[in-house]
Amino acid sequence: MTTNTTKNAAAASDVIGQAGPGGGTSVLLQNLTRAFGVTRALDGLSIEMAPGELVALLGPSGCGKTTALRIVAGFETADTGSVLVNGKDISSVPAAKRDMGMVFQSYSLFPNMSALDNVAFGLRMRKIGPASRRKRASDLLDMVGLAPQARQYPHQLSGGQQQRVALARALAIQPRVLLLDEPLSALDAKVRLQLREQIRTLQQRLGTTTLFVTHDQEEALSMADRVGVMREGRLEQIAAPDELYTDPATAFVAEFVGVMNRIPGELQAGDQVTALGSTLPVRGHRPEESAVDVLVRPEGLGLEVVENGNGIVTTRTFLGSVTRVGVQLSGDVAVQVDRPSVEAAALAPGASVEVSLPAHPVLVAARRVS
Amino acid sequence: MAAIAQEAPEGIAPPRRQGIVFRGSTVWRWVVLLVATVYFLLPLWAALRFAGIGAFGSVVSESGFTSSLALSVRLAVITTLITIVLMLPTTVYVHLRLPKLRRLLEGITILPVVIPPVVLIVGVLAIAPGFIKATSLLLALEYVILAMPFAYRAIDAGLRALDLKTIVEASSSLGAGWVSTLWRVVLPNLRTALLSAVVLTVALVLGEFTMASLALFETFPVWIYVNSQTSGQVSVAASLLALFVTWLFLLAITMVGTRQSRKTGGREVTLFTVARQETRGD
Repeated sequence: MTTNTTKNAAAASDVIGQAGPGGGTSVLLQNLTRAFGVTRALDGLSIEMAPGELVALLGPSGCGKTTALRIVAGFETADTGSVLVNGKDISSVPAAKRDMGMVFQSYSLFPNMSALDNVAFGLRMRKIGPASRRKRASDLLDMVGLAPQARQYPHQLSGGQQQRVALARALAIQPRVLLLDEPLSALDAKVRLQLREQIRTLQQRLGTTTLFVTHDQEEALSMADRVGVMREGRLEQIAAPDELYTDPATAFVAEFVGVMNRIPGELQAGDQVTALGSTLPVRGHRPEESAVDVLVRPEGLGLEVVENGNGIVTTRTFLGSVTRVGVQLSGDVAVQVDRPSVEAAALAPGASVEVSLPAHPVLVAARRVS
Repeated sequence: MAAIAQEAPEGIAPPRRQGIVFRGSTVWRWVVLLVATVYFLLPLWAALRFAGIGAFGSVVSESGFTSSLALSVRLAVITTLITIVLMLPTTVYVHLRLPKLRRLLEGITILPVVIPPVVLIVGVLAIAPGFIKATSLLLALEYVILAMPFAYRAIDAGLRALDLKTIVEASSSLGAGWVSTLWRVVLPNLRTALLSAVVLTVALVLGEFTMASLALFETFPVWIYVNSQTSGQVSVAASLLALFVTWLFLLAITMVGTRQSRKTGGREVTLFTVARQETRGD
C-alpha cells in the first residue's frame, strides 16, 4: 500500500504539475475573530503558513478550528481580521473563486455522478474540454489508487474510497490551498491509518499548502509539519509535533497532547519545586500560588519495586513494547508510568513501588481543585 | 489494491430468525391476502360486469369525454408545473439558509389536508375576481394548494436524504456558481423526490371532484358523475378506463424514477414511500 502510494504520488507531480499554482502558496490568517451570538468561536486567531506546509489545527470540539477553516474556504466570514493568500487579502472573494480544494468530514461526493465525473467536476467548471478533463480526472483517480473504480457511483464505494475520490476531486483543480475538515473521522481505524499516510505523501509530493482540522491528536502529530493547538478560539501553541509533545507551552497543551500526570508539589524560591520528596527546577510558566501540580509524562516517571514505597500498583495495561502501569500514590493521587513490557512482569497489581520524578526541569500548573 | 481488500466488510446481515415462525402464520398471510384481493377486486369485477365490454367502445364517442379528459390533463400539467416551480426553490432555500423555519413550513403545508376542500373552494369562489373564476386557472391554483402537503413532503424528504449543505459547499469550493450548483448538483439528486411530488400531484388532480364540481368545471371526474345520471353503463366504463389509464401513467412514472434512482443508489420509487437515497456509512 505504502510503496504503491509513493509510486503513485511520484507520478502525481507530472499529473498536475508540481510548479503549478499549488506549488508555493503562503497563507496568513490575521487576527481572525468570529462570534456566533454570545459564543466567540474565534478570538484573535493568527497563523502564518509557509508555502507547501501542512498545518494541523487541533483542539476539543467547539474550540473554533472548523470555523477558522471555513473562513479560509469562504463559507464563513470573519467579523474582523483577514485571510491573506500570497500576500493578497481574499476576504471579499467568494468561495467559488478561491481555488481551494476541500475535503469534508461527511461524504461529500455528488451521488448522481460517477467517481470520474466527480473528480472532473471542478475542471468542468473551469471550462476544460471533455477529453482533457477526463484524462486529468483518471490520472488523479489513478494517483489515489482508484482507477478501477472510475465508473462507479459513490454509493458503490466504501467510506475510505469515497474520501479518496473526494481528495482526488479537491486536488484536480490544482488548488492553491488544500483544506481538510476532519476527513478521516468517519472512517474505521485501519482505513484511517492508510489514508493518513496517503494524504501526507501526496501533499508532500505536490507541495500544496494544507490546512488540516482534526480533534485526533495522533492524526495531527503524525501528519503535520506544525500543529496548532486551539482553545476557546485562540491558539495556545503552534509548533512542530515533537516540540509540542516534549516542550508544551501551557498546561492545556501539555494535557491535551499525549497523556500527562499531575503530581501535587510546592513551589520553592528560585524556581524550584518540591514533589515526591525531590526538588527540581521549574521551566516555563510559573503560577502565582505555591500549591502546584507537577506535569510529567508516563515515560518520564521512574518506577522501582521496593518495600514500603510511596505507591501501590493498581492496574497494568499492555501496549506492545511498553506496559502502562497505574500507581496509586498517597493523598488520592493516581499516576500512570510506562515501563518496557519485559520489566513490567514484576509490577503486578498490589505491588509496592517507589515512583520518582525525572532529573530534568519540569512543567508546573496551578493545582487543580478536584 | 490492498486498501480495498483490507477494509472491513460492511453490512453483514444478522442471522435470520428462523424456527420461531410457526406454520400457522403462513396460512394467515394467505387468508389476509385473499380477503384483501376480494375486497379490492370484487367491486372492479362487478363494475366490469355491469358496464359490459361494449360500453368501453361507446365511451370514447360520448359527448364531453374528450374535452373533460383534456381539461383534467391540462390541469394536471399546469398544477404540477406551478407546484414544482414554487416548492422546489422554497424548500431548497429553507434547507440551506433558514433550517429553523422547517417546522413552521411543515405546519403550514399540512393545512390543506386539515381544511376540507369544500371550505377552500367556497371561500375562494366568494372572493376571487371574475377573470380568474372564468378560467380553469382558478382550479389549477386551488390544486396547487391541495398538492402542497404532498409535494413539500416529497421534496423535503429528498433534501434531507442528501446532506444538501455539504454538497452545495463542495460544489462551490470546486468553482461552481449558484446556477451550476442547482442545475448540475442539486436537481439531479432530487430527481426521485421530484418524481414523487409529480406522481402525487398528478394523481390528486386527476381524481379531484369536489372543487371542480363546485367551481362548475367539467373535469373528467365531474363528467363521469354527470354521465352516470344519463347512462350508467358508459359512466362506469369511463371510471374503469380512467382508473386503468391513471394507473398505467403512475406505473410508468415510478418505473422511470426507480431506474434513475437505482443508478445512484436510491430505492424504489413508490407512491407512498418517497424514495430516500441511501448514503453509505452513516
